[in-house]
Amino acid sequence: MGGTAMLEVKNLSCGYGKTEVIHDLSFQVRAGERLCILGPNGCGKTTLLRALAGVIPFQGSVEANGVFLGGLSPRQRAKKIALMSQFSQSAFDYTVYETVMLGRYAHRSDSLFPSETAADRNTVEDAMRCTGVWELREQLVTRLSGGQLQRVFLARTFAQEPQIILLDEPANHLDLRYQAELLESLRDWTADKKRCVTGVFHDISLALAFADTVLLLEAGRALACVPVQELDEELLDRLYGMDVRGYMKRMYGRWE
Amino acid sequence: MKLRIKMGTGTKMGLLLLAALLTLLFGVGIGSVYVPPADILAILGERLFVRPLPEHIPANFSVMVVDMRLPRVLLAFLTGAALAVCGGVMQSLLQNPLASPFGLGVSSGAGLGAALVIVLGLASAGLGMFFLPAVSLCFALGTVFFVLLLAAKLDRRMSNVTVILVGMVVSLFCNAVMSLLATGSPAYAQRIQLWQLGSFSMREWSAVWALFPVTALVCLYFLRYAAELDVMTFGEEQASAMGVDQRRIRGRMMTAVAVLTGTAVAFVGIIGFVDLIVPHVVRRFFGAAHRRMIPACALLGGTFLVLCDLAARTLTPPHEIPIGSITALLGAPFFLYLFFAGRRDS
Repeated sequence: MGGTAMLEVKNLSCGYGKTEVIHDLSFQVRAGERLCILGPNGCGKTTLLRALAGVIPFQGSVEANGVFLGGLSPRQRAKKIALMSQFSQSAFDYTVYETVMLGRYAHRSDSLFPSETAADRNTVEDAMRCTGVWELREQLVTRLSGGQLQRVFLARTFAQEPQIILLDEPANHLDLRYQAELLESLRDWTADKKRCVTGVFHDISLALAFADTVLLLEAGRALACVPVQELDEELLDRLYGMDVRGYMKRMYGRWE
Repeated sequence: MKLRIKMGTGTKMGLLLLAALLTLLFGVGIGSVYVPPADILAILGERLFVRPLPEHIPANFSVMVVDMRLPRVLLAFLTGAALAVCGGVMQSLLQNPLASPFGLGVSSGAGLGAALVIVLGLASAGLGMFFLPAVSLCFALGTVFFVLLLAAKLDRRMSNVTVILVGMVVSLFCNAVMSLLATGSPAYAQRIQLWQLGSFSMREWSAVWALFPVTALVCLYFLRYAAELDVMTFGEEQASAMGVDQRRIRGRMMTAVAVLTGTAVAFVGIIGFVDLIVPHVVRRFFGAAHRRMIPACALLGGTFLVLCDLAARTLTPPHEIPIGSITALLGAPFFLYLFFAGRRDS
């Protein structure tokens, strides 16, 4: 796997208040690469994504395409890195189109009363067609099913035009078909080798099918960061404290 | 709701503006003596453009319209606009369609300030009509800042739940002190209670001139942050990741809400439900996007409160019903209807 580092994390520590959750973590994601973070509940996967996305403060350095994220304003940072969270919803009646348009926030001009441009509208339409929600554009987000909503938020994440997308269990609540389509959209998105994806998936099989590289996280420290093909299954067993491969084989045995 | 009226936003806003103007006109016209709209316009023409007054209009009509009814109606309109807009913004900030600026302690703080002024006998001590509003505004702002500071101390991320809980606790505490004051000095208890229910009977132009610039400026300020407010309704985490400096902007927005609600409450007392119902209705017809919601809330909130005040002063002459009871009487059932109608739908 060649290519330059798109996301370079060095000695990152972060947490909530005085409790440190991630300790001195370093890894990198190259252009075009898809990295999945695996680890048991509470190992700090979501916390790591939140720090990278600028939701919580961190120590150490994070570089996106050679630019230190720590020195950027929230809007400059949002042009480089986007987060698609697991519990997204709105209490208010925005239309699907308005919701996706909000993804353009970071690209707005600095004028006192900025308005959307033709370029914004084009980007939004492309993003919506890409995730198949263009037909839903007039609908209210409060009336959508979980799967539709998830695709709307993916469109919004695309409309943000980041170089790096962080995913926090994006496949939750999705039917198999939508899961497959969501991952397909994300694969296409990284295909031109100019962007990369870092994600947390609840489903190990899904993660291994989607990722080029896996980062194993144990209690806030990296256990390993290796290409998927070279993943040592005994490490997985140790990480999850069970026979992962045996379990998966039993689970999926009936489809043989 | 099955009935969806297809109309452009411009048309809807135009109709709302027309309704607001007509309501203002009839609000001024209706009273112990009816003044027809044409006469009101003629009187305004006389005052504003020094046109001669038509002969059939008695001169004292001019005084009644311009010096008594007009300021009262405008004060009601401004108050309604201020409360409705602040309610809408507060609901967005806390991502809760049932939130209200009063939850931050604005009203209880203002109430405590007013009660102190009344009990200490300062209200009639010749300190001027602005003394009580000024003190209650200071108390309102002080209470809100105390709530926000305490919330920040307890929870560094200042999550919405913390803000709501701290606001509730501080409000209840202020209310308790106010009740103590009222019980301790029965002579003033009725005045305190009346203030708590709100009234526009202070029909003074000076109140209008004080409230107008604050309302206009704060509404423009909210409009300037319309996109940020939209993004923030999707949650704190989303907002941060999408590039909104949400902690800072939330602080600014809450301060603006406190200033505007505090100013309105300081002049007219506590008027509930406007801040709750109006944004709900507006979202139904104009959607949730703030660039449309804020102006629509201002127009509908103002119109609604002018109508309520009209009812308050004309239903039981010569006595006035406290405006707060009217808004609650109309508001509570309407709110329940909206809430359950919305639920059955989805």
